[in-house]
Amino acid sequence: MIRGAVAIFTRDFKKFLSNPFVIVMTLFMPVMYLLIFGNAMGGAIVHIPIGVVQDQPYTTETPLFTAAVAQLKDFHQPDKPSMFDVAVYTSEEVAKQALSQGRISAAVIFPSDVSADLTVRVYEDSSDYMVPSLIEGGVSAAMTGTGFSHPVAFNRIYGKVDYIQFFGVGVIVMAIFMTTMMGGAFALIRDRELGIIEGYLVTPVKRSSIILGTIGSTTVRAFLAGTIIFIFDILITGVVVRGADDFLLVLLVIFIASIGVTSLVVALASRFSTQQEYASVVAFFNLILFMTSGAFYPILGMPGWLIWIALINPEAYTVHALRSIILRGQGLAIIAPDLIALGIFSTLAIILGIVTYRRTLE
Amino acid sequence: MLSSPGSSGSKDPAPGSPGLTDNRIIRIQHLTKVFREKNRSVTAVDDVSLDVIKGEIFGLLGPNGAGKSTIIRILTTLLTPTSGTAFVDRFEITRNDEEIRGIIGVCPQNSTLDVELTAYDNLEFYGKLLNVEEEILHDRAMQLLGMAGLTDRAHMPVRTFSGGMKRKLEIVRAFLHRPLILFLDEPTIGLDPDSRWEVWQQIEKLNAEHTTIILTTHYMEEAEKLCHRIAFMDVGRLIALDTPENHKRAIPAGDLIEIGFETMREGLLPAITATGLVKSVEAKDNRVIIHALNGSRVLPALIAVFERFSMPMTSISIRSPTLEDVFIHLTGRKLDTGSSVENSPGGRRQKP
Repeated sequence: MIRGAVAIFTRDFKKFLSNPFVIVMTLFMPVMYLLIFGNAMGGAIVHIPIGVVQDQPYTTETPLFTAAVAQLKDFHQPDKPSMFDVAVYTSEEVAKQALSQGRISAAVIFPSDVSADLTVRVYEDSSDYMVPSLIEGGVSAAMTGTGFSHPVAFNRIYGKVDYIQFFGVGVIVMAIFMTTMMGGAFALIRDRELGIIEGYLVTPVKRSSIILGTIGSTTVRAFLAGTIIFIFDILITGVVVRGADDFLLVLLVIFIASIGVTSLVVALASRFSTQQEYASVVAFFNLILFMTSGAFYPILGMPGWLIWIALINPEAYTVHALRSIILRGQGLAIIAPDLIALGIFSTLAIILGIVTYRRTLE
Repeated sequence: MLSSPGSSGSKDPAPGSPGLTDNRIIRIQHLTKVFREKNRSVTAVDDVSLDVIKGEIFGLLGPNGAGKSTIIRILTTLLTPTSGTAFVDRFEITRNDEEIRGIIGVCPQNSTLDVELTAYDNLEFYGKLLNVEEEILHDRAMQLLGMAGLTDRAHMPVRTFSGGMKRKLEIVRAFLHRPLILFLDEPTIGLDPDSRWEVWQQIEKLNAEHTTIILTTHYMEEAEKLCHRIAFMDVGRLIALDTPENHKRAIPAGDLIEIGFETMREGLLPAITATGLVKSVEAKDNRVIIHALNGSRVLPALIAVFERFSMPMTSISIRSPTLEDVFIHLTGRKLDTGSSVENSPGGRRQKP
């Protein structure tokens, strides 16, 4: 019994040691989890952009306004940088526009008169996780700091958004990634290992047809997975889609993301000859892209180096675009930068996917 | 990029085999393939030139690593040669590879069937890749399933098939679009004798439909049973190409006659030599072993000698040379090293 066990143990261990790439990835992954998971989740959210306005009729800055702005700029948690990046706007209209375009997370409107019964109005973007309550706490504390006792009224402009709604939108992106990474690419590597792809190569079918068929089938699967989760979001988490054009816009974002991620995955699957190597790389990609996408936790709360990753992370743009449409009811004008970023990513990924996959067909 | 097929044919200098010019369907000219790996290089195919004639079953025979599969992979456009060229029908292998893929059927050594699909789905899928017209595809698939004896298994996943069934399915799949040429790389490797026999039947059926068939094998019996002409390959080189009969005739030792006895009489062996009909004679383990051309003609004279010496015979056997003997004669080595010689059906079977 022992002899057999030792034989199997030795064989397994020999195989493990013979693949340095997998060894490195195996040890590397937990460390990456520690660094990325640890930093991406639960970091202090600071530098929240807010706008302040002194209401009409404007004559001169009231003591309340001056004191409150100073307090807001200075407000911070112990040993942390300022919580708010304060921008002064000249009118309520401009500030609210900036808020609805997502450039600031809250607009604080101070009365033009110092009489103590006038209200300080706060309009806040309620679609983000944690940020609204931080703003509420921060503004209240800053007001106390000024010594004025004006009442403060908070308005959550997108109503109350539950965490499951916030997170549910992120899961659409996860569905796209999982379907391609796990389903599509493993099938591709398996087909290659089984020689099925080589079988194609002695038929008159064109190389471009093989590439188109492969990327096409996986893209459609990813698209369907994303769409199904979107419908789940509507049915289960109770997000509200405001019209057919919003619905179609969501499908467009899902589609562009699907084709981009699929092409990237086809490129990766073409680079790695064994399922094991591919799996370790994909686990890494999945971790870093999903964690920095903002699906779990606001990007504002991440350390600088993760924010840089988020800046080049196509999933972050996808999550932002989907939240803009689904949670905030914003249209094409607001998500245009996201679509451009996604478009660039998808184009590059398609080129990379075709070139890399084609090389395996030669 | 694409030159007209006619011009590529006329450019061909057509060396050798002048009488075969019109019916040659494959022409291989000085084909060489060198695989380079870091600081090591292996010459898998070494300056091979040969022609395949329309309608024949052509065998590439040789041990593992002789370069048979590499030649097939070059002819089926999966590999490009290091030097030399080949024409399949009127198409050059590197310039007109797409046209070639339209007229060939390939059954590679390792299965490329999708075992999760049913037999019918495998055929239907390949029919589409092979440009079989949509209207006839269903009938064609059913016809081929019938040919392979798999009609009742048509809608079962290939995963559940035996090795022989898979092989037959893969061979008919390569024949879906009625290719001019069918390439079979080790078609019966790993099959039991019954399945092997069935696959042979199938190959002959396909050949009867005017398909040129090129097969590689390291089974002697297979080559002997199926092939009209056989090319012997060894370490990348073509060492002999002829019909099986001519190959055997080329062996100087001729047929092997073994006559068993109980007690040896003085003078028997010189008397046999004295007949002038045999090439060599020796006694070993109560058997007289004689090499002679045309063994069955010589036998009556040998029996007469035994009777003259009043020596009772316990057994007589005549064995014609096998392709194995031809290979040993050509290379001084057995076709396959190790135990596989004993297992191969073309091994040392005695003819009745």
